[in-house]
Amino acid sequence: MVDEDKLKELKDRIETAKSSNTPNIKKNKESGAGFGFKISTEIIAALVVGVGIGLIVDKYLGTKPFGLIIFFIFGALAGFLNVYRVMRRIEKQ
Amino acid sequence: MAAKDSPLKQFEIVPFSKTELGGYDISFTNSSLSMIITVAVITLFLTLTVNPRSLVPSRMQLVSELMYNFIATLLSDTVGDNGKKYFPFVFSLFMFVLIGNMVGMVPYQFTFTSHIIVTFALAAIVFIGTTILGFANHGIKFFSFFYIPGVPFYMHPLLIPIEVISYLSRPISLSVRLFANMLAGHTLLKVFAGFVVAMPFFTGVFPLVFIVALTGLEILIAFLQAYVFAILTCLYINDAYHLH
Repeated sequence: MVDEDKLKELKDRIETAKSSNTPNIKKNKESGAGFGFKISTEIIAALVVGVGIGLIVDKYLGTKPFGLIIFFIFGALAGFLNVYRVMRRIEKQ
Repeated sequence: MAAKDSPLKQFEIVPFSKTELGGYDISFTNSSLSMIITVAVITLFLTLTVNPRSLVPSRMQLVSELMYNFIATLLSDTVGDNGKKYFPFVFSLFMFVLIGNMVGMVPYQFTFTSHIIVTFALAAIVFIGTTILGFANHGIKFFSFFYIPGVPFYMHPLLIPIEVISYLSRPISLSVRLFANMLAGHTLLKVFAGFVVAMPFFTGVFPLVFIVALTGLEILIAFLQAYVFAILTCLYINDAYHLH
């Protein structure tokens, strides 16, 4: 039947249009600046917490400057861990 | 440029009347007014549009239902069946941030999300709430959240502090992201608005065109940041249920 062939053709066209459309939308979802911003806040937040803990430890245990040094390094490592987790989450999507 | 024309002047907190209680300044400011407007807009919009309860929704009712669906699917996708309980919380948080950002886009309106104390308070609620939730669900076992299985035992003294710092940095990264995006966007708008006046002859048209485009981008960012805030809240609630 002619009608059925036409229907099938139309269906194929709709399918191709759908498949070509969806990836484009996903790609444009996030700009490069937004992505960089997300990464940098993760590192900065972890560093802030690390330095904060270091200063508190130094103040109460009197271990100036070692608490700051050690927890600064821990903070930096935690920042990298955060970035790694964000990247993994983005890759999963 | 004179100080009164500074692009940062829009973020200034202006109290309407000085009020003090127990040594604390609790004046009603432009920031408080902005928040009240936001809450009023949300409440009025949601109640008025959903009030007819028609089976075939009107356009505005559809908008309300879309927002409901948006957060409901977000919760069920990230948290699963446990997430239904937290819908009111996540939805209010999302709407407050979203409409707060949008109210801030209206000229002459104050943007309260551009103040870190506001966003940090919101993030602290999420952080403290999810931590209590984690302890309520797992008891003392919640501490195993910081313990990564499958790692050589001598690595743990190094990894546990890193995990704890990473956990404590959550409210800071959550609040700084929202606050900095709003602050940067609004400052940029003001700076370019200054160019419109400062440039000679008709060349001021170019920054004006740019501002129009930038306003569109700002509205996108306003929505995106509210979405990011909501999705991260969902992820943290999920973490309180499933350790690793």
